[in-house]
Amino acid sequence: MSARRGWLLAAMLALLAGGFCRPAAAQTSELVARLSTERVAITTAFVGESILVFGSTEQPLGPGGDEVVVMARGPSAPFVVRRKVRVIGLWLNGPSARFAAVPSFYAIAGTRPPWQLLPEEARHQRGIGIDSIPLEFTGARAPGFRRALVELKRNSNLWQEDPSPIEIAGSRLFNFRLHLPSTVQPGTYNVEVMLVRARRVVATEQLGFVVERTGSAAEIEKVARGQPVIYALLCILAAAFAGWAGSVVFRRG
Amino acid sequence: MVAVLQIYLPIAEMSVDALLLVGVGFGVGWLSGLFGVGGGFLLTPLLILLGIPSTVAVASGANQTLGASVSGLLAQARRGNVDWQMGGVLVAGGLFGSVAGVQLFAMLRRLGQVDAAVAIFYVVVLGSVGALMVMESVRAIFRRRRHGAAHRLHNHSWAHGLPFKVRFRKSRLYISVIPPLAVGFLIGVLSAVMGVGGGFMLVPAMIYILGMPTAVVIGTSLFQVVCVTASVTFLQAIQVGGVDIVLTLLLLLGGVAGAQFGAAMGGKLRGEETRALLGALVLAVAASLLWDLLRVPAALFSVGPAF
Repeated sequence: MSARRGWLLAAMLALLAGGFCRPAAAQTSELVARLSTERVAITTAFVGESILVFGSTEQPLGPGGDEVVVMARGPSAPFVVRRKVRVIGLWLNGPSARFAAVPSFYAIAGTRPPWQLLPEEARHQRGIGIDSIPLEFTGARAPGFRRALVELKRNSNLWQEDPSPIEIAGSRLFNFRLHLPSTVQPGTYNVEVMLVRARRVVATEQLGFVVERTGSAAEIEKVARGQPVIYALLCILAAAFAGWAGSVVFRRG
Repeated sequence: MVAVLQIYLPIAEMSVDALLLVGVGFGVGWLSGLFGVGGGFLLTPLLILLGIPSTVAVASGANQTLGASVSGLLAQARRGNVDWQMGGVLVAGGLFGSVAGVQLFAMLRRLGQVDAAVAIFYVVVLGSVGALMVMESVRAIFRRRRHGAAHRLHNHSWAHGLPFKVRFRKSRLYISVIPPLAVGFLIGVLSAVMGVGGGFMLVPAMIYILGMPTAVVIGTSLFQVVCVTASVTFLQAIQVGGVDIVLTLLLLLGGVAGAQFGAAMGGKLRGEETRALLGALVLAVAASLLWDLLRVPAALFSVGPAF
């Protein structure tokens, strides 16, 4: 823990030093933010990752002063939500709703809960807060489908709302730890850091990182998707060989 | 503290405990060695229970059954217990069956009914096979107590009256090719939809419907299982994309070890008792899946990727 703190402090100091050394024009920037990494590798040992979002502001942060909101979004994909219905005593999938573009990952955090910082309209316009994520869907119209999707995403930790407040250090430094669960999808992730003053967003910084498969997991997935015939034959041979070799190794007597 | 070794499954796209999977493989392998069956019918439901998506569980289950059956086939072939001619007819039916089964599976997936359909297949097939096994072995145990074993080369059934008769020398049969083709086809469909080898159904079908001598039944059924699971693996991989080789190999690692221990123990049990126990196990799996279909689900909504 202390090592992590030390690293964090060093990163912030470097950022600050960078800020002071800049020419006069850049000094007026209200908000500077960075990510601890811009690349997350999904290896066979991947169990999730946490990314540090950190930065500094010109005006003091905290009650009475400026506030910071961090919003992260993962790549979007279509999803189908199905409702189970009882058919002659058995529970089968019944009506369904198709959501064309569902962000695979979403996280929102602020120095205070964002709904306290911004008016409703501005919040919805910028998609701040899980209830503001635009979700167009076709099919069954009941409101339960959207709720079920939100619930599932929240329960699997892929959508996070105020997991923990953004920490403020020394009134002008802030940091937030973004936790990615092991089920994150590969793709490009956007992180938007917003500076809020008097219930208005006065400055934003667009950051991003890439989640990609690497190592054997990536190779296997690539072959399986790109050359399914070769992959299928390899699976057959590998299983047959493993079964034969295993029986030789473990043979008793 | 329990050792946990998390490993990322590239096709299932999730992180799982590798040791748990090896353990599951070992347990299923042990039971399959004990009873002399492939164990796919236990493995696939267990994988689904562990949270592996049905598509991956079925496809990888078939792939695992292929690996688990290879060494048995080689051993039986060495002892000359495989009727290649009969096996070839069964495999021909099985290949068509697996093609039909994978089409059915892909269609069910599009309709969003894979989970329920796999469960219903399991309940119907395991329920009827399990009940037959228990009844048959209980009857056999009582018969043995009263008279001793019955002697007959094979049962003459309706299967012996059909056209296109062929002589199967190894099995000492002169029967129509239609029943073995039909049996092979049916097992192929079940293998594709359920992710099993189908040995637990094939063996009784070969004895009671085809009337094959028991000496060649195990070897010949393993030949059919290896060929059909290979076909299912191939078709599932290219059509549905559910074969996770990392999952398969982890399960095999435990499975082949467990099978050797199970087989060593199985030698000490008597045939009818073994069959009654296996039947009870099959019934238990069917009952638990049926319960899942009948009870009010904990979550009414499910979310899946759209195709």
